[in-house]
Amino acid sequence: MAMRKKVLLMGASGSGKTSMRSLIFSNNPASLTTRFGATIDVEQNHVRFLGDLVLNLWDCGGQDSFMDSYLSTQRSTIFQHVAVMIYVFDIETREAIKDLGYYRDCADGLKKYSPEAKVFLLVHKMDLVRENVEGVLAKKRAQLEQESGDLAVTVFGTSIYNESLYRAWSRIVHSLIPNANILSKHLSTLAQACSATEVVLFERTTFLVIATSSDAEQDVEDPHKLDGIRYERTSELIKAFKYSCVRAREEFHSLEIELSEFTAVLDELTRNTYVLIIVHNPTIETAALKMNICLARNKFEELQTDSLFSS
Amino acid sequence: MDTAASTNISSTASVAEVIRTKILLTGLRKCGKTSIQEVLFKGLPTKDAFFIEPTTKVVKTAYDTVIPLELWDCPGSLTIQTLPTPLSQFPTIVFIIDIQDHHQQPITRLVELVITAYQENQNVNLEVFVHKAEALSEEYKIENFKHIQQRVLEELDDYDFGHIPVNFYLTSIYDHSLQDAFSKVVQKLIDSLPYIEDLLNVFCGNSQATKAFLFDAKSRLYIATDASPVDSATHSLCSDFLLTLNSFSPLYKSVQASTFEERRELFPSQLVQSPSASIQPSPSASPRPPSSDKGKLPDSARASDPSKALFYPSASTSLSPGSTETTVTCHLITPQLALLALIPTQTFEGRRGLVEYNVVYFREGVQEIWQVEREARTRG
Ligand SMILES: Nc1nc2c(ncn2[C@@H]2O[C@H](COP(=O)(O)OP(=O)(O)OP(=O)(O)O)[C@@H](O)[C@H]2O)c(=O)[nH]1
Ligand SMILES: Nc1nc2c(ncn2[C@@H]2O[C@H](COP(=O)(O)OP(=O)(O)O)[C@@H](O)[C@H]2O)c(=O)[nH]1
Ligand SMILES: [Mg+2]
Repeated sequence: MAMRKKVLLMGASGSGKTSMRSLIFSNNPASLTTRFGATIDVEQNHVRFLGDLVLNLWDCGGQDSFMDSYLSTQRSTIFQHVAVMIYVFDIETREAIKDLGYYRDCADGLKKYSPEAKVFLLVHKMDLVRENVEGVLAKKRAQLEQESGDLAVTVFGTSIYNESLYRAWSRIVHSLIPNANILSKHLSTLAQACSATEVVLFERTTFLVIATSSDAEQDVEDPHKLDGIRYERTSELIKAFKYSCVRAREEFHSLEIELSEFTAVLDELTRNTYVLIIVHNPTIETAALKMNICLARNKFEELQTDSLFSS
Repeated sequence: MDTAASTNISSTASVAEVIRTKILLTGLRKCGKTSIQEVLFKGLPTKDAFFIEPTTKVVKTAYDTVIPLELWDCPGSLTIQTLPTPLSQFPTIVFIIDIQDHHQQPITRLVELVITAYQENQNVNLEVFVHKAEALSEEYKIENFKHIQQRVLEELDDYDFGHIPVNFYLTSIYDHSLQDAFSKVVQKLIDSLPYIEDLLNVFCGNSQATKAFLFDAKSRLYIATDASPVDSATHSLCSDFLLTLNSFSPLYKSVQASTFEERRELFPSQLVQSPSASIQPSPSASPRPPSSDKGKLPDSARASDPSKALFYPSASTSLSPGSTETTVTCHLITPQLALLALIPTQTFEGRRGLVEYNVVYFREGVQEIWQVEREARTRG
């Protein structure tokens, strides 16, 4: 049984909605996005995620005339049955006031037709901010939270030119998987079986992080002090490398790395997922990790169909 | 690969001791000299090139690859007359010209430079980068390139210097064309190139590799390749794989697991490499058993040269479903150099031991050449 979730992608024209969609869901590089024309009306996309979750992505063209019609004649069509609304703000916009006005109206529409929907606000094109990035983002965040009133929102700073986009989108899709914690537990078991420091599960096409073995033991302090942005950097790097493979008319399949500091294997786990195993114990060989991935395949295939979406 | 720490050019001590091959980068202001240097040798992300400040004085960058290089980045205002060193000191001169700037000034400057340099040293390599090529459409790009090339040759002819060999390349920091051009520039400076090429040919033959490159791991210039023709898609793929590995390796580095003392406890003491063997990959690199090279390193190599690391980073990525499934392998050869090869997946998986053995053999050969180069260049 497929589960459909409607995801609204909204924001002013030129704010970067279509660009981010193309980066995350199609295997396109950032440099290609400058060629996109403005989106006319709503572009709907169905993206199969983890096999049984289908994201129904509504990329809503942001020109004023379209916005006005979303808020009037199309109001109920747009805002009903929404699971997630993502609203994109261009940090360099010259029309911040108008931007906020439209956002407030959309938030009202959402509250009326889909009061349960989750809201993510992306402060986008952060790469254009050269100084005091933290401060600029904090200020914008405070402003957006205030504008949102009693509506619970999650704010991320993003850019298509770095890993921040993957961080935001991983959190967004994570919020759509009801039983992601079950996956984390099983990843943790796999990690133990491999003497691994951690195991990370990625969705196959987007390479967004779905779950990690460390999620299962959240309050344990990381003794290895691994880089805090490693997951989203990994998504970004592998996506970029997949694109390189396509250019060479090849298709990325798997990766093995043996460094003096760690050993890693990245391989298919199920039809829809990839798994990354990171080991710091120097006595463990990659062949053993691959063997364990093989052994875990059936279990995860079952998990994915049975328990993840049945709640 | 994790070589960044040790290949870094900041080792000021060696700058004084080693005789470096000098490369002059020159051209009018804003043509992209600093960007080229920073992107290739200092790991500057290309999107940050936009923010580079104008160069006001000559900046020298030491860079260690198979041979030690010294790159001179000059301000646009610098002329032959104001250059602090005789031109004859530079076996290679790279003149950079903005592809959209086909006016008289850069061409006059280039022609003057070519003639003067040639008169001082007839063996000088004169390399012209027609730069920022990605800014133009394919057709327009070729047209401008030909136009610039023709004008330079005509003017040289006017002075009766039409016979001076000048090489032209189309380059851009935004794609692999810059790496490709600079690779060719560096290859001409390596006396031992034919030996390295032979080793690569032997490696390919013995490992059924369809292509192999010896890359400088950090700059991703290729130092040498086997005799089969270079196809730009394959070159790009290898270069991108190296970039991916370079970026991936710091992400999962553990503060805990890399402490030397802790790792030593895990192993018999004879396997532990002295941490002061400074030319090896990184301070934390070696206390680890040679997992895949196990038993393949000749014992004599181990005993006779304590500076030889027992563990070298490696990686492989399998690609499918292509016409035949291919694996791209990457093996660190010296702290700076990495061997990248395309091997049929079936061969790599079925006869991995053999491939690893061939890598060890190749590494021994390259290290020997590298050692000789080093000794020849160290003063005193
Ligand atoms: N600097 C920078 N530019 C970006 C970023 N994201 C997108 N852009 C650029 O912004 C421009 C507009 O992007 P689109 O994705 O077409 O904008 P949109 O929100 O879909 O616009 P409409 O379809 O008209 O609503 C493109 O030229 C992108 O290259 C970013 O993170 N940083
Ligand atoms: N389009 C394009 N611009 C480039 C390229 N390389 C450098 N630039 C730009 O050219 C400008 C001048 O570069 P810089 O390195 O300071 O030039 P220098 O004065 O010769 O050292 C910068 O804005 C760079 O971003 C390239 O390959 N393509
Ligand atoms: Mg759009």
